[in-house]
Amino acid sequence: MKDLECQIVSNQMVCEDTYLLQACCDFESWKPGQFVMVRINDSFEPFLRRPLGILAYHESKLELLYKVVGDGTRCLSLKKPGEIIAVLGPLGNGFRIPAGDEQVTYVAGGAGLPPILALAEHIKKGTLIIGARTRSNMPLLTRIQSITGVETLIVTDDGSIGPKALAADILEEVIQDSHLPGIVYACGPPAMLKKTALISQAKGLACQVSLEERMACGFGVCTGCIVATKSGNQRVCREGPVFEAAQIRWS
Amino acid sequence: MDTTIRITDELVLKNPVMSASGTFAYGEEFSEVIDLSLLGGIVTKGLSLEPSKGNPVPRIVETPCGMINSIGLENIGIEAFLKSKLPLLGQWKTPVVVNFYGTNEDDYEILASMLDSKKDVAALEMNVSCPNIKKGGIHFGKDPDYLYSLVSKVRQATNKTLLVKLSPLASDIAEVAISVQEAGADGITCVNTIPAMAIDENTWMPVLANITGGLSGPAIKPVALYMVWEVSKHVHIPIIAAGGAASYRDVIQFMLAGASAVEIGSYALRDPFCFTTIIEGLDKYMQENALDRLEDIVGKLKT
Ligand SMILES: Cc1cc2nc3c(=O)[nH]c(=O)nc-3n(C[C@H](O)[C@H](O)[C@H](O)COP(=O)(O)O)c2cc1C
Ligand code: FES
Repeated sequence: MKDLECQIVSNQMVCEDTYLLQACCDFESWKPGQFVMVRINDSFEPFLRRPLGILAYHESKLELLYKVVGDGTRCLSLKKPGEIIAVLGPLGNGFRIPAGDEQVTYVAGGAGLPPILALAEHIKKGTLIIGARTRSNMPLLTRIQSITGVETLIVTDDGSIGPKALAADILEEVIQDSHLPGIVYACGPPAMLKKTALISQAKGLACQVSLEERMACGFGVCTGCIVATKSGNQRVCREGPVFEAAQIRWS
Repeated sequence: MDTTIRITDELVLKNPVMSASGTFAYGEEFSEVIDLSLLGGIVTKGLSLEPSKGNPVPRIVETPCGMINSIGLENIGIEAFLKSKLPLLGQWKTPVVVNFYGTNEDDYEILASMLDSKKDVAALEMNVSCPNIKKGGIHFGKDPDYLYSLVSKVRQATNKTLLVKLSPLASDIAEVAISVQEAGADGITCVNTIPAMAIDENTWMPVLANITGGLSGPAIKPVALYMVWEVSKHVHIPIIAAGGAASYRDVIQFMLAGASAVEIGSYALRDPFCFTTIIEGLDKYMQENALDRLEDIVGKLKT
């Protein structure tokens, strides 16, 4: 874990409320599913860093995809190329990469897109199911549809792209005739994760979920970000953010 | 240049910069980030007799220049701490201050006597001021007479340096501080978080699952400065400041107000490397101001 001063290369709106930020950065290594804590300003506003999932990292360039949800992310969205942000990371454990010929399925919804795209771009195979509210809400459409080796299925709440359905419902169809062994990766709203976990379990598929929780430190010292698991409270930022779905005590 | 701070004969700090309880866990994560031997002192997460699961999430909310937490004193319990964390902490050339709390008077006494024999423990910091637990916590810290009897009991149970951490909520903090001193405490930590809450106007719900929590960070620094100043006028035992410190300038300000040392809490969550920069800043300040002994500035506010 390092705190890196990173110069912003670009920071552009890619769809309603969502921005793609690219910054120069020097990680020794990273894994899909890891995240960074971004200090937006030198001043105390905002006071805490923001946890953001890594969308991509190659050739010393870090890509983050974030939605403007509050004052902190609004501040970040106003940053111009050339400005500096401090990036602590890479943090957390990251996804388990399948070793053999497991059948791979990904499920992403809402703000859960970055780690799942990072993973799909890394594994380069499988079926990617994405749930969005509506077309104007769906970022990086061309990039997503052209991930090497990955078949993409997009569903929306209003049918403006793909079928009008929930991502977890499509998952049921996709894995219906899947062969074992297989693994399902998911990141998104809690209800979607829970449903994905149950469907995967019923099918005998392994399932890893990447969780989101409010964070203060991002490196394990404040216990602000805990999740109840079968082996007690665990820190989303340290033991996670990726957990075996079977370990989670869903509320 | 001498940055040594003597709190007691057993608790001598190489500089006044300490971690704060609850923002440093048990030191392991920070040891991957900074050299713990550089610190003046390490204060552990608050420990209880039994492990505690704390409150449900959300436990954290940001505020202007600070944050509110309702962790609820989640900790691994004293047994696990002594077995698996203290030996690691003892390796560093930095005094370890164990923060602890009870849900009743007996707990406080038992914990103090358990820690009394441990050579890796330099001092105890007694938390009588956490706003996040229903039993104990802050209620112990508000009433001077009650606090006198509680601290006296703990004093009987240990010969270690005993610090008592006060709540900014005490109606008269000077009075509380005096009774803590009379009960035999060796020092006072000033202050814990300030009870606070956040509300979501869209859902009409509190942001924290526990509804209320404790405010910390730069937002509370002026209050903490005032409390240190107020307490220092009334007691002769050393004061350790906590509350919003984020720079070497803050450390100097707390020292002028009467603090011998300063704990850095919330700011270290935002900037884990700040301990090093603050310590370097103090050296520079001493050079620029031709100070030989940092301890000489304690309580030297010109009024
Ligand atoms: C996340 C968090 C957890 C805390 N846990 C404890 C604790 O276990 N025991 C305690 O005495 N104080 C605890 N505190 C209070 C701090 O030690 C400190 O007194 C307070 O936050 C003010 O300092 P700061 O503004 O530098 O954070 C906690 C504070 C925070 C932010
Ligand atoms: S955010 Fe501090 S422990 Fe996870």
